[in-house]
Amino acid sequence: MLAETQRNRGAVGRVTGLARSTPGRLSLLALLLIAASLLVGALTAVSVQRRSDALEALADRSEPLAYAAQEVYRSMADADATAASAFLSGGVESPGLRGRYEADVAKAAAALSTATGEITRSPELAGPLSTLSGQLPVYTGLVETARTHNRQGNPVGAAYLREASHLMRSALLPAAQELYRAETGNVLRDLSGAGTWPWSEFLLGAALIAALVLAQRYLTRKTNRVFNVGLVAATAACAVSLLWVVVASSIVVARASTSEDDAKVTDIVARARIATLTARGDETLTLVARGSGKVYEDRFAQASQELDRLLGEAAGSDAPPVVAAATTHLGQWQQAHARVRQADDSGDFTGAVELALGGGEAAVAFDALEKELVEALDRSRGELTDTIAGARGALSGAVPAVVLLALIAAVASTAGLWQRLKEYR
Amino acid sequence: MTKRFGRGRGAVVGAAAVLALLAGCGAVPSSAPEIGGGSAVPPRPTGVEELTAPPSAPAVAAPSCDATASLRPSGPLPAAGRMPGGSTMARIAERGRLTVGVDQNTYLMGFRNPFSGELEGFDVDMAREVARAIFGDPTRIQFKVLTSEERIPALENREVDVVVRTMTVNCERWQKVAFSSVYYQAGQRVLVPSTSDVTGIESLGGRKVCATKGSSSLANVAGAPAGPIAVSVPNWTDCLVLLQQGQVDAISTDNTILAGFAAQDPYTKVVGPQFTAEPYGMAFPRPDEDFVRFVNALLERLRSDGTWASIHGRWLGAPPAPPVAAYRD
Repeated sequence: MLAETQRNRGAVGRVTGLARSTPGRLSLLALLLIAASLLVGALTAVSVQRRSDALEALADRSEPLAYAAQEVYRSMADADATAASAFLSGGVESPGLRGRYEADVAKAAAALSTATGEITRSPELAGPLSTLSGQLPVYTGLVETARTHNRQGNPVGAAYLREASHLMRSALLPAAQELYRAETGNVLRDLSGAGTWPWSEFLLGAALIAALVLAQRYLTRKTNRVFNVGLVAATAACAVSLLWVVVASSIVVARASTSEDDAKVTDIVARARIATLTARGDETLTLVARGSGKVYEDRFAQASQELDRLLGEAAGSDAPPVVAAATTHLGQWQQAHARVRQADDSGDFTGAVELALGGGEAAVAFDALEKELVEALDRSRGELTDTIAGARGALSGAVPAVVLLALIAAVASTAGLWQRLKEYR
Repeated sequence: MTKRFGRGRGAVVGAAAVLALLAGCGAVPSSAPEIGGGSAVPPRPTGVEELTAPPSAPAVAAPSCDATASLRPSGPLPAAGRMPGGSTMARIAERGRLTVGVDQNTYLMGFRNPFSGELEGFDVDMAREVARAIFGDPTRIQFKVLTSEERIPALENREVDVVVRTMTVNCERWQKVAFSSVYYQAGQRVLVPSTSDVTGIESLGGRKVCATKGSSSLANVAGAPAGPIAVSVPNWTDCLVLLQQGQVDAISTDNTILAGFAAQDPYTKVVGPQFTAEPYGMAFPRPDEDFVRFVNALLERLRSDGTWASIHGRWLGAPPAPPVAAYRD
């Protein structure tokens, strides 16, 4: 017990003794510089890695999942609109419409299986996801029952189709919308996470360089030599590391803010596309209801207003030329729709259906609008993924470089101080 | 030495036990959500309601009246295309088309043919006869599909000239609209799955029975002494959907409508006697008395010249004698 206390006192004494003599101070300085270089290197590497992880999550998970959610939403809205058109066209539905409906269901199911992978990461999405995957087969079952009855000439087929459409609008589409909102929110959150300014990296690096400069000045005072090669090399390594991290991070920040704009435009265009499909479904259902479709016509007006607003927003943000074209087509569609309504309201039901379906004015304008929106969507999503890829590229190699430069700084500063220490022997 | 060793071993064992306990307590359960979807949610048509009370009756009971008695024709039917000046028919002729409220969900009475997309049925053909009488052309007609509930408001707001839609003539409705003479005599019965043991409305106590909102059938079901649970839907075919999906036990309405269901689903049967009389009339806006008299003259002709019988034969099978018109002048 006593011996141990003496031993401890001896160790403390040795350290304080070391601090009193110049060689001792130099040794301590060497130890401190090694520790500081390694610590700063490790912390910087960790924070760069975190930024890189955020970008990876964005590129490999959030963004594809948001796209999958958007596809689920889009294909379900389209299936609903297509089923209504097929019904309105009368008789056995055209192979074109049937094909489109089948493609929508296949797409919705595939996109849903991608989106469902998210369930363990975001348990709050369990509700909408299980609604989507549970009710989609029920929906298709109802549509097929409607189809079978139609083929047998039973008017109850129309009732099954109404029930299917009601299920789509009251359960599936709201769940798809919730999923889409959550996933789009995740993209924006990950983007702002990756796009924070690298303050901690900058401060740590600057502090280390300042420490190295102070050590250099101390050495100059003690030894009358202006430069210590080792310390200069260590300072240079730290400066390179700091510069690398700051430049790479700044590129990421700049790209992230571009991406945020891209993501917002993508979101607006995607919502415009879904509003287009909803409006088309409402236009068709107004005709299916044959005179008692006021509720659908009101919804069409709502969706059409929403479209005006969204396209205005998209044009204001970035003004890609497709948006301008889409606005033109929307105007044409709205005019064509007014003519459809006029024909139907004045008793020319057949004329109204002809305007609304197949090669009719409203159908043509709708197809053109949809095509523009698909193009705009592809483009803005392409820009988003390119920008994210660019940001990831800027960070590639940064972590090993930071670690290597920190090791170099530690070794170089030790070597520099060792040279001076040797002179005291 | 052995004792110390033993104590040491005890300490080691104790420490191990404590660690094991700590490790045991520190279990971290999975945060993955449970697999949902254990209970299936059956899809339902739009606007299904289970009635807890009979549909609202008018605040003042309708004065008793002879509901089936309509306005007497004022003379012979004017020739098509030559409507008396200033009359409701002249106004319609000037517009160029007759607007008619019909149904597109009642097989055989008023329904949409899925192949052609056209509206067809007994009621639709009767409406076409009215257009033929005004214009000499049965296609000068604009159909407006109405649910049971929308019939009277559509007439009150003059959205349609006439409603021909399995509409029962009764005193309560006479308060708001005018009816033609009776053009079809129906009665309420019950439709059940062919395996059901139900024998009529009296054996449906506590079971779910479907009818459309705003129909006289719904009021009859809700007021039935056996106490069935009335389920209301917007359209008649929604009832068949509910029955086929096992969400209701029976449908109760006029035999004509039930015959249409039975024709669409061979696994159903119509049971029990007619427990109400449901005389159908065409309905008009209250002030259009000249039009009512005109249509009554037309109905007289259709009954006597065999048109009524041939329309009945086309949709509803071998025709009985047409209902006899009654008038109140």
